Amino acid sequence: MKISYLYEIVLFIFLVLLQVLLLNRISLFGIATPVLYLYFLLKLPMGRNFFYVIISGFLLGLTIDVFLNTPGMNAAATTIVAACRKSFMDLFFEKEEYDDFVPGIYTASGPFIRFTILTVVSHLTLLFFIESFTLFNLQATLLRIFASSVISILLIFAIDSFISKRKRGEQL
Amino acid sequence: MRNLFNFILRNSHWLVAILLVAFSFYLVFTHNSYQRSVYLTSANNVSGWFYTTTNNVASFFLLKKSNDQLLERNALLEKELYGFQVLLDSLTAPDSVEVIAFAPDSIATPQFDFIPAGVVNLSYSGVNNFITLNKGSSHGIKPDMGVISQRGVVGVVANVSTHFSVVIPVINPKFRLSARLKNSENYGSISWDGGDIRQAQLQDLPKHEVFHKGDTVLTSFSRIFPKNLIIGFVTDTGKSKDDNFNTFNVQLATNFYTLQDVLVIKDRFYDEQQTLEETLQQ
Repeated sequence: MKISYLYEIVLFIFLVLLQVLLLNRISLFGIATPVLYLYFLLKLPMGRNFFYVIISGFLLGLTIDVFLNTPGMNAAATTIVAACRKSFMDLFFEKEEYDDFVPGIYTASGPFIRFTILTVVSHLTLLFFIESFTLFNLQATLLRIFASSVISILLIFAIDSFISKRKRGEQL
Repeated sequence: MRNLFNFILRNSHWLVAILLVAFSFYLVFTHNSYQRSVYLTSANNVSGWFYTTTNNVASFFLLKKSNDQLLERNALLEKELYGFQVLLDSLTAPDSVEVIAFAPDSIATPQFDFIPAGVVNLSYSGVNNFITLNKGSSHGIKPDMGVISQRGVVGVVANVSTHFSVVIPVINPKFRLSARLKNSENYGSISWDGGDIRQAQLQDLPKHEVFHKGDTVLTSFSRIFPKNLIIGFVTDTGKSKDDNFNTFNVQLATNFYTLQDVLVIKDRFYDEQQTLEETLQQ
Protein backbone atom coordinates (compact mmCIF):
# COMPACT_ATOMS: atom_id res chain seq x y z
CA MET A 1 0.00 0.00 0.00
CA LYS A 2 2.77 2.42 0.93
CA ILE A 3 4.65 1.66 -2.27
CA SER A 4 1.48 2.50 -4.15
CA TYR A 5 1.42 6.01 -2.62
CA LEU A 6 5.08 6.54 -3.43
CA TYR A 7 4.44 5.40 -6.99
CA GLU A 8 1.57 7.87 -7.25
CA ILE A 9 3.72 10.79 -6.06
CA VAL A 10 6.40 9.94 -8.62
CA LEU A 11 3.75 9.61 -11.34
CA PHE A 12 2.28 12.99 -10.30
CA ILE A 13 5.61 14.80 -10.61
CA PHE A 14 6.53 13.01 -13.83
CA LEU A 15 3.22 13.84 -15.50
CA VAL A 16 3.33 17.52 -14.43
CA LEU A 17 6.84 17.96 -15.80
CA LEU A 18 6.03 16.08 -19.00
CA GLN A 19 2.96 18.24 -19.53
CA VAL A 20 4.49 21.66 -18.89
CA LEU A 21 7.95 21.11 -20.30
CA LEU A 22 7.12 19.11 -23.39
CA LEU A 23 3.48 18.51 -24.29
CA ASN A 24 2.23 22.06 -23.84
CA ARG A 25 4.73 23.27 -26.40
CA ILE A 26 3.17 21.00 -28.99
CA SER A 27 0.41 22.46 -31.08
CA LEU A 28 -0.42 20.16 -33.98
CA PHE A 29 -1.91 22.14 -36.88
CA GLY A 30 -2.36 24.96 -34.39
CA ILE A 31 -5.33 23.24 -32.74
CA ALA A 32 -4.40 19.95 -31.08
CA THR A 33 -2.47 19.95 -27.81
CA PRO A 34 -1.99 16.62 -26.02
CA VAL A 35 -3.16 16.70 -22.39
CA LEU A 36 -1.66 13.73 -20.61
CA TYR A 37 -1.69 14.70 -16.92
CA LEU A 38 -5.19 13.29 -16.47
CA TYR A 39 -3.61 9.84 -16.71
CA PHE A 40 -2.88 10.23 -12.99
CA LEU A 41 -6.61 10.19 -12.15
CA LEU A 42 -7.25 7.26 -14.47
CA LYS A 43 -4.62 5.11 -12.79
CA LEU A 44 -5.63 5.61 -9.15
CA PRO A 45 -6.85 2.39 -7.50
CA MET A 46 -10.58 2.19 -8.00
CA GLY A 47 -11.57 2.02 -4.36
CA ARG A 48 -9.45 5.00 -3.38
CA ASN A 49 -10.95 7.43 -0.88
CA PHE A 50 -13.09 10.16 -2.44
CA PHE A 51 -11.28 12.98 -0.59
CA TYR A 52 -7.93 11.67 -1.75
CA VAL A 53 -9.08 11.60 -5.37
CA ILE A 54 -10.62 15.08 -5.26
CA ILE A 55 -7.80 16.80 -3.43
CA SER A 56 -5.08 15.20 -5.52
CA GLY A 57 -7.07 16.16 -8.63
CA PHE A 58 -7.30 19.74 -7.45
CA LEU A 59 -3.59 19.90 -6.59
CA LEU A 60 -2.72 18.39 -9.95
CA GLY A 61 -4.75 21.02 -11.81
CA LEU A 62 -3.40 23.84 -9.66
CA THR A 63 0.21 22.77 -10.21
CA ILE A 64 -0.35 22.73 -13.96
CA ASP A 65 -1.99 26.17 -13.68
CA VAL A 66 0.96 27.63 -11.84
CA PHE A 67 3.29 26.57 -14.63
CA LEU A 68 1.01 27.60 -17.46
CA ASN A 69 -0.15 30.95 -16.01
CA THR A 70 -3.81 30.02 -16.17
CA PRO A 71 -4.91 30.32 -12.51
CA GLY A 72 -7.92 28.13 -11.81
CA MET A 73 -8.69 26.80 -15.29
CA ASN A 74 -7.03 23.39 -15.13
CA ALA A 75 -7.81 23.19 -11.40
CA ALA A 76 -11.55 23.67 -11.97
CA ALA A 77 -11.78 21.17 -14.84
CA THR A 78 -9.69 18.52 -13.07
CA THR A 79 -11.58 18.83 -9.77
CA ILE A 80 -14.93 18.41 -11.51
CA VAL A 81 -13.68 15.36 -13.38
CA ALA A 82 -12.20 13.92 -10.17
CA ALA A 83 -15.58 14.36 -8.46
CA CYS A 84 -17.33 12.57 -11.33
CA ARG A 85 -14.76 9.77 -11.47
CA LYS A 86 -16.75 7.41 -9.27
CA SER A 87 -19.96 7.86 -11.27
CA PHE A 88 -18.04 7.29 -14.51
CA MET A 89 -16.51 4.09 -13.12
CA ASP A 90 -19.93 2.82 -12.04
CA LEU A 91 -21.01 3.10 -15.68
CA PHE A 92 -18.33 0.79 -17.06
CA PHE A 93 -16.83 -1.44 -14.37
CA GLU A 94 -18.28 -4.30 -12.34
CA LYS A 95 -18.77 -3.33 -8.71
CA GLU A 96 -16.78 -6.35 -7.49
CA GLU A 97 -13.69 -5.10 -9.24
CA TYR A 98 -13.24 -2.18 -6.84
CA ASP A 99 -10.76 -1.57 -3.99
CA ASP A 100 -7.14 -1.97 -4.93
CA PHE A 101 -7.80 -2.78 -8.57
CA VAL A 102 -5.95 -0.43 -10.96
CA PRO A 103 -7.64 -0.36 -14.36
CA GLY A 104 -5.35 -0.74 -17.36
CA ILE A 105 -5.51 -1.42 -21.06
CA TYR A 106 -4.47 -5.07 -20.59
CA THR A 107 -6.30 -5.86 -17.35
CA ALA A 108 -9.67 -4.43 -18.39
CA SER A 109 -9.45 -3.35 -22.02
CA GLY A 110 -13.06 -2.58 -22.95
CA PRO A 111 -14.18 -0.79 -19.79
CA PHE A 112 -10.87 1.05 -19.44
CA ILE A 113 -11.02 2.36 -23.02
CA ARG A 114 -14.59 3.61 -22.61
CA PHE A 115 -13.80 5.08 -19.19
CA THR A 116 -10.74 6.91 -20.57
CA ILE A 117 -12.62 8.32 -23.55
CA LEU A 118 -15.46 9.65 -21.37
CA THR A 119 -13.10 11.14 -18.78
CA VAL A 120 -10.75 12.81 -21.26
CA VAL A 121 -13.52 14.22 -23.45
CA SER A 122 -15.41 15.68 -20.49
CA HIS A 123 -12.21 17.09 -19.02
CA LEU A 124 -11.11 18.79 -22.25
CA THR A 125 -14.62 20.06 -22.94
CA LEU A 126 -14.67 21.73 -19.52
CA LEU A 127 -11.13 23.00 -19.89
CA PHE A 128 -11.56 24.59 -23.31
CA PHE A 129 -14.93 26.13 -22.46
CA ILE A 130 -13.53 27.67 -19.28
CA GLU A 131 -10.59 28.92 -21.31
CA SER A 132 -12.84 30.43 -23.96
CA PHE A 133 -14.49 32.75 -21.44
CA THR A 134 -11.82 35.15 -22.55
CA LEU A 135 -12.28 34.56 -26.26
CA PHE A 136 -15.46 33.05 -27.54
CA ASN A 137 -15.33 31.27 -30.84
CA LEU A 138 -17.57 28.19 -30.74
CA GLN A 139 -16.40 26.55 -33.93
CA ALA A 140 -12.71 26.88 -33.08
CA THR A 141 -13.33 25.69 -29.51
CA LEU A 142 -15.21 22.56 -30.65
CA LEU A 143 -12.52 21.78 -33.17
CA ARG A 144 -9.83 22.13 -30.52
CA ILE A 145 -11.75 19.90 -28.11
CA PHE A 146 -12.13 17.20 -30.76
CA ALA A 147 -8.56 17.31 -32.03
CA SER A 148 -6.99 17.50 -28.58
CA SER A 149 -9.17 14.67 -27.26
CA VAL A 150 -8.18 12.34 -30.07
CA ILE A 151 -4.48 12.94 -29.65
CA SER A 152 -4.65 12.81 -25.82
CA ILE A 153 -6.59 9.54 -25.77
CA LEU A 154 -4.20 7.91 -28.23
CA LEU A 155 -1.24 9.08 -26.18
CA ILE A 156 -2.77 7.77 -22.93
CA PHE A 157 -3.34 4.33 -24.48
CA ALA A 158 0.20 4.25 -25.82
CA ILE A 159 1.73 5.22 -22.46
CA ASP A 160 -0.51 2.78 -20.60
CA SER A 161 0.28 -0.16 -22.83
CA PHE A 162 3.96 0.63 -22.37
CA ILE A 163 3.81 0.87 -18.57
CA SER A 164 1.41 -2.06 -18.09
CA LYS A 165 3.43 -4.33 -20.35
CA ARG A 166 6.58 -3.75 -18.36
CA LYS A 167 4.77 -4.37 -15.11
CA ARG A 168 3.25 -7.56 -16.41
CA GLY A 169 6.66 -8.69 -17.58
CA GLU A 170 8.08 -8.16 -14.11
CA GLN A 171 5.38 -10.28 -12.55
CA LEU A 172 5.93 -13.20 -14.87
CA MET B 1 -30.95 19.75 13.29
CA ARG B 2 -29.52 16.28 13.64
CA ASN B 3 -30.84 15.45 10.21
CA LEU B 4 -29.04 18.46 8.82
CA PHE B 5 -25.76 17.39 10.41
CA ASN B 6 -26.25 13.88 9.12
CA PHE B 7 -26.93 15.23 5.66
CA ILE B 8 -23.80 17.37 5.73
CA LEU B 9 -21.72 14.48 7.06
CA ARG B 10 -23.02 12.05 4.47
CA ASN B 11 -22.40 14.47 1.62
CA SER B 12 -19.26 16.09 2.94
CA HIS B 13 -17.19 14.85 0.01
CA TRP B 14 -19.47 16.63 -2.44
CA LEU B 15 -19.22 19.74 -0.28
CA VAL B 16 -15.43 19.64 -0.47
CA ALA B 17 -15.64 19.12 -4.23
CA ILE B 18 -17.94 22.10 -4.66
CA LEU B 19 -15.74 24.28 -2.45
CA LEU B 20 -12.62 23.38 -4.44
CA VAL B 21 -14.37 24.03 -7.75
CA ALA B 22 -15.68 27.35 -6.42
CA PHE B 23 -12.18 28.31 -5.36
CA SER B 24 -10.84 27.42 -8.82
CA PHE B 25 -13.47 29.55 -10.50
CA TYR B 26 -12.67 32.37 -8.11
CA LEU B 27 -9.08 32.15 -9.38
CA VAL B 28 -10.29 32.12 -13.00
CA PHE B 29 -12.43 35.22 -12.65
CA THR B 30 -10.14 37.29 -10.46
CA HIS B 31 -7.31 36.46 -12.82
CA ASN B 32 -6.28 39.95 -13.80
CA SER B 33 -3.08 40.34 -15.71
CA TYR B 34 -2.09 43.44 -13.79
CA GLN B 35 -2.90 42.58 -10.20
CA ARG B 36 -2.54 38.86 -9.75
CA SER B 37 0.01 37.57 -7.34
CA VAL B 38 3.36 36.37 -8.50
CA TYR B 39 3.10 33.09 -6.59
CA LEU B 40 0.52 31.48 -8.84
CA THR B 41 2.33 32.25 -12.08
CA SER B 42 5.41 31.03 -13.81
CA ALA B 43 7.33 33.97 -12.35
CA ASN B 44 7.66 32.21 -9.01
CA ASN B 45 11.01 30.75 -8.10
CA VAL B 46 10.22 27.03 -8.39
CA SER B 47 8.63 27.04 -11.82
CA GLY B 48 11.06 29.73 -12.93
CA TRP B 49 13.94 27.49 -12.00
CA PHE B 50 12.49 24.54 -13.94
CA TYR B 51 11.95 26.65 -17.01
CA THR B 52 15.44 28.15 -16.82
CA THR B 53 17.04 24.72 -16.58
CA THR B 54 15.16 23.21 -19.49
CA ASN B 55 15.73 26.32 -21.53
CA ASN B 56 19.46 26.06 -20.95
CA VAL B 57 19.33 22.64 -22.55
CA ALA B 58 17.00 23.67 -25.36
CA SER B 59 18.93 26.82 -26.25
CA PHE B 60 22.02 24.70 -26.77
CA PHE B 61 20.38 23.13 -29.79
CA LEU B 62 19.49 26.54 -31.19
CA LEU B 63 23.03 27.86 -30.82
CA LYS B 64 23.89 27.56 -34.48
CA LYS B 65 20.83 29.47 -35.57
CA SER B 66 21.33 32.20 -32.95
CA ASN B 67 24.92 32.45 -34.02
CA ASP B 68 23.91 32.97 -37.63
CA GLN B 69 21.44 35.63 -36.62
CA LEU B 70 24.06 37.39 -34.52
CA LEU B 71 26.52 37.33 -37.39
CA GLU B 72 23.89 38.73 -39.71
CA ARG B 73 23.08 41.47 -37.21
CA ASN B 74 26.77 42.11 -36.67
CA ALA B 75 27.31 42.51 -40.38
CA LEU B 76 24.45 44.99 -40.57
CA LEU B 77 25.81 47.06 -37.69
CA GLU B 78 29.27 46.91 -39.19
CA LYS B 79 27.90 48.29 -42.42
CA GLU B 80 26.06 51.06 -40.61
CA LEU B 81 29.14 51.88 -38.59
CA TYR B 82 31.12 52.17 -41.79
CA GLY B 83 28.50 54.50 -43.23
CA PHE B 84 28.61 56.71 -40.18
CA GLN B 85 32.38 56.64 -40.18
CA VAL B 86 32.40 57.95 -43.72
CA LEU B 87 29.87 60.60 -42.78
CA LEU B 88 31.85 61.57 -39.72
CA ASP B 89 35.04 61.81 -41.73
CA SER B 90 33.40 64.08 -44.26
CA LEU B 91 31.94 66.28 -41.51
CA THR B 92 35.15 66.56 -39.54
CA ALA B 93 37.27 67.00 -42.61
CA PRO B 94 40.13 69.38 -41.99
CA ASP B 95 38.46 72.72 -41.70
CA SER B 96 39.92 75.88 -40.44
CA VAL B 97 36.63 77.07 -38.99
CA GLU B 98 35.40 74.85 -36.20
CA VAL B 99 31.85 75.38 -35.07
CA ILE B 100 31.50 74.61 -31.41
CA ALA B 101 28.11 76.20 -30.95
CA PHE B 102 26.40 72.98 -32.07
CA ALA B 103 28.38 70.68 -29.86
CA PRO B 104 26.15 67.88 -28.60
CA ASP B 105 25.03 67.99 -24.99
CA SER B 106 27.10 65.41 -23.21
CA ILE B 107 24.83 65.28 -20.13
CA ALA B 108 21.63 64.34 -21.95
CA THR B 109 20.86 60.63 -21.93
CA PRO B 110 18.48 59.12 -24.48
CA GLN B 111 14.84 58.67 -23.51
CA PHE B 112 14.84 54.94 -24.07
CA ASP B 113 17.14 52.43 -22.52
CA PHE B 114 17.11 48.73 -23.41
CA ILE B 115 17.54 45.84 -20.99
CA PRO B 116 18.49 42.60 -22.77
CA ALA B 117 16.70 39.50 -21.46
CA GLY B 118 16.39 35.85 -22.42
CA VAL B 119 13.17 33.92 -22.95
CA VAL B 120 12.98 31.01 -20.51
CA ASN B 121 9.48 29.90 -21.36
CA LEU B 122 6.99 30.65 -24.06
CA SER B 123 3.55 29.18 -24.58
CA TYR B 124 1.76 29.33 -27.89
CA SER B 125 -0.40 26.24 -27.91
CA GLY B 126 -3.42 27.70 -26.17
CA VAL B 127 -5.30 30.95 -26.12
CA ASN B 128 -3.71 32.40 -22.99
CA ASN B 129 -0.21 32.76 -24.33
CA PHE B 130 2.56 34.34 -22.31
CA ILE B 131 6.34 34.60 -22.18
CA THR B 132 8.58 34.25 -19.12
CA LEU B 133 11.84 36.23 -19.11
CA ASN B 134 14.92 35.56 -17.00
CA LYS B 135 15.21 39.14 -15.68
CA GLY B 136 13.08 40.72 -12.99
CA SER B 137 12.74 43.68 -10.67
CA SER B 138 16.37 43.33 -9.53
CA HIS B 139 17.40 44.19 -13.11
CA GLY B 140 15.10 47.20 -13.22
CA ILE B 141 12.11 45.64 -14.98
CA LYS B 142 8.68 46.93 -13.98
CA PRO B 143 5.14 46.06 -15.08
CA ASP B 144 3.90 47.89 -18.21
CA MET B 145 7.29 48.05 -19.88
CA GLY B 146 7.37 47.23 -23.58
CA VAL B 147 9.28 44.23 -24.92
CA ILE B 148 10.73 43.99 -28.43
CA SER B 149 12.84 41.52 -30.36
CA GLN B 150 15.44 42.22 -33.01
CA ARG B 151 12.71 42.20 -35.61
CA GLY B 152 9.73 43.85 -33.96
CA VAL B 153 7.23 44.23 -31.15
CA VAL B 154 6.87 41.28 -28.75
CA GLY B 155 4.59 42.33 -25.89
CA VAL B 156 4.14 44.10 -22.57
CA VAL B 157 5.48 43.10 -19.13
CA ALA B 158 2.58 42.08 -16.87
CA ASN B 159 4.12 40.55 -13.76
CA VAL B 160 7.51 40.90 -12.16
CA SER B 161 9.25 38.94 -9.42
CA THR B 162 12.84 39.44 -8.27
CA HIS B 163 14.46 37.38 -11.01
CA PHE B 164 11.72 36.67 -13.53
CA SER B 165 9.01 38.52 -15.37
CA VAL B 166 5.93 37.46 -17.33
CA VAL B 167 5.13 39.15 -20.63
CA ILE B 168 1.75 39.29 -22.36
CA PRO B 169 2.69 38.92 -26.03
CA VAL B 170 0.93 40.22 -29.14
CA ILE B 171 -0.47 36.71 -29.54
CA ASN B 172 -2.73 36.98 -26.49
CA PRO B 173 -6.34 38.18 -26.83
CA LYS B 174 -5.78 40.64 -23.99
CA PHE B 175 -3.13 42.50 -25.95
CA ARG B 176 -4.09 45.80 -27.60
CA LEU B 177 -1.84 48.30 -29.27
CA SER B 178 -2.55 51.25 -31.53
CA ALA B 179 -0.87 50.91 -34.89
CA ARG B 180 -0.75 52.52 -38.30
CA LEU B 181 0.39 51.80 -41.83
CA LYS B 182 3.74 53.26 -42.73
CA ASN B 183 2.44 55.51 -45.49
CA SER B 184 -0.45 57.04 -43.56
CA GLU B 185 -1.26 58.75 -40.29
CA ASN B 186 -4.61 57.06 -39.57
CA TYR B 187 -4.33 54.64 -36.75
CA GLY B 188 -6.17 51.46 -35.83
CA SER B 189 -5.58 48.82 -33.21
CA ILE B 190 -3.67 45.55 -33.32
CA SER B 191 -5.16 42.48 -31.66
CA TRP B 192 -4.99 38.72 -32.05
CA ASP B 193 -7.98 36.52 -32.89
CA GLY B 194 -6.76 33.30 -31.29
CA GLY B 195 -5.82 31.59 -34.54
CA ASP B 196 -2.43 31.49 -36.21
CA ILE B 197 0.39 32.81 -34.03
CA ARG B 198 2.20 34.22 -37.05
CA GLN B 199 -0.69 36.56 -37.76
CA ALA B 200 -2.46 39.38 -35.92
CA GLN B 201 -5.29 41.64 -37.00
CA LEU B 202 -5.16 45.38 -37.56
CA GLN B 203 -8.66 46.71 -36.97
CA ASP B 204 -10.58 49.96 -37.21
CA LEU B 205 -8.73 51.53 -40.08
CA PRO B 206 -10.93 53.86 -42.16
CA LYS B 207 -12.30 52.33 -45.35
CA HIS B 208 -10.71 54.93 -47.62
CA GLU B 209 -7.25 53.97 -46.44
CA VAL B 210 -5.08 52.97 -49.41
CA PHE B 211 -3.00 49.90 -48.81
CA HIS B 212 -0.84 47.41 -50.63
CA LYS B 213 0.12 43.89 -49.79
CA GLY B 214 3.37 43.94 -47.81
CA ASP B 215 2.84 47.39 -46.30
CA THR B 216 4.69 47.85 -43.04
CA VAL B 217 2.62 48.22 -39.86
CA LEU B 218 4.20 50.49 -37.22
CA THR B 219 3.36 51.43 -33.66
CA SER B 220 1.41 54.64 -33.25
CA PHE B 221 0.71 56.59 -30.06
CA SER B 222 1.58 54.44 -27.10
CA ARG B 223 2.81 55.05 -23.62
CA ILE B 224 4.68 51.77 -23.72
CA PHE B 225 6.41 51.60 -27.09
CA PRO B 226 8.40 54.26 -28.93
CA LYS B 227 6.76 55.48 -32.13
CA ASN B 228 7.47 53.76 -35.46
CA LEU B 229 8.53 50.34 -34.23
CA ILE B 230 7.78 47.58 -36.72
CA ILE B 231 4.90 45.28 -35.77
CA GLY B 232 4.46 43.37 -39.01
CA PHE B 233 3.42 43.43 -42.65
CA VAL B 234 -0.04 43.48 -44.22
CA THR B 235 -0.90 40.20 -45.97
CA ASP B 236 -4.55 40.66 -46.94
CA THR B 237 -7.88 42.11 -45.85
CA GLY B 238 -9.60 40.17 -43.11
CA LYS B 239 -13.17 39.92 -41.89
CA SER B 240 -14.47 43.28 -40.71
CA LYS B 241 -17.12 43.76 -38.03
CA ASP B 242 -18.09 47.19 -39.27
CA ASP B 243 -18.74 48.40 -42.82
CA ASN B 244 -16.99 51.71 -42.25
CA PHE B 245 -13.72 50.18 -41.21
CA ASN B 246 -11.19 47.81 -42.70
CA THR B 247 -9.52 44.93 -40.96
CA PHE B 248 -6.18 43.66 -42.21
CA ASN B 249 -4.37 40.44 -41.49
CA VAL B 250 -0.86 41.31 -40.44
CA GLN B 251 2.05 38.94 -40.56
CA LEU B 252 3.96 39.57 -37.33
CA ALA B 253 7.59 40.62 -37.68
CA THR B 254 8.53 38.64 -34.57
CA ASN B 255 8.69 34.89 -35.02
CA PHE B 256 7.34 33.50 -31.75
CA TYR B 257 8.31 29.93 -32.63
CA THR B 258 12.01 30.68 -32.35
CA LEU B 259 12.07 33.68 -30.00
CA GLN B 260 15.17 33.50 -27.78
CA ASP B 261 16.42 36.99 -26.93
CA VAL B 262 14.42 40.13 -26.32
CA LEU B 263 14.96 43.72 -25.22
CA VAL B 264 12.86 45.34 -22.51
CA ILE B 265 12.27 49.04 -23.11
CA LYS B 266 12.92 51.33 -20.20
CA ASP B 267 11.35 54.74 -20.77
CA ARG B 268 12.93 57.40 -18.59
CA PHE B 269 9.91 59.69 -18.93
CA TYR B 270 7.22 57.05 -18.37
CA ASP B 271 6.42 58.10 -14.81
CA GLU B 272 6.51 61.77 -15.67
CA GLN B 273 4.10 61.36 -18.58
CA GLN B 274 1.76 59.18 -16.61
CA THR B 275 1.62 61.54 -13.62
CA LEU B 276 0.95 64.47 -15.91
CA GLU B 277 -1.84 62.67 -17.73
CA GLU B 278 -3.42 61.55 -14.50
CA THR B 279 -3.58 65.06 -13.12
CA LEU B 280 -5.78 65.98 -16.08
CA GLN B 281 -8.15 63.11 -15.55
CA GLN B 282 -8.88 64.09 -11.98
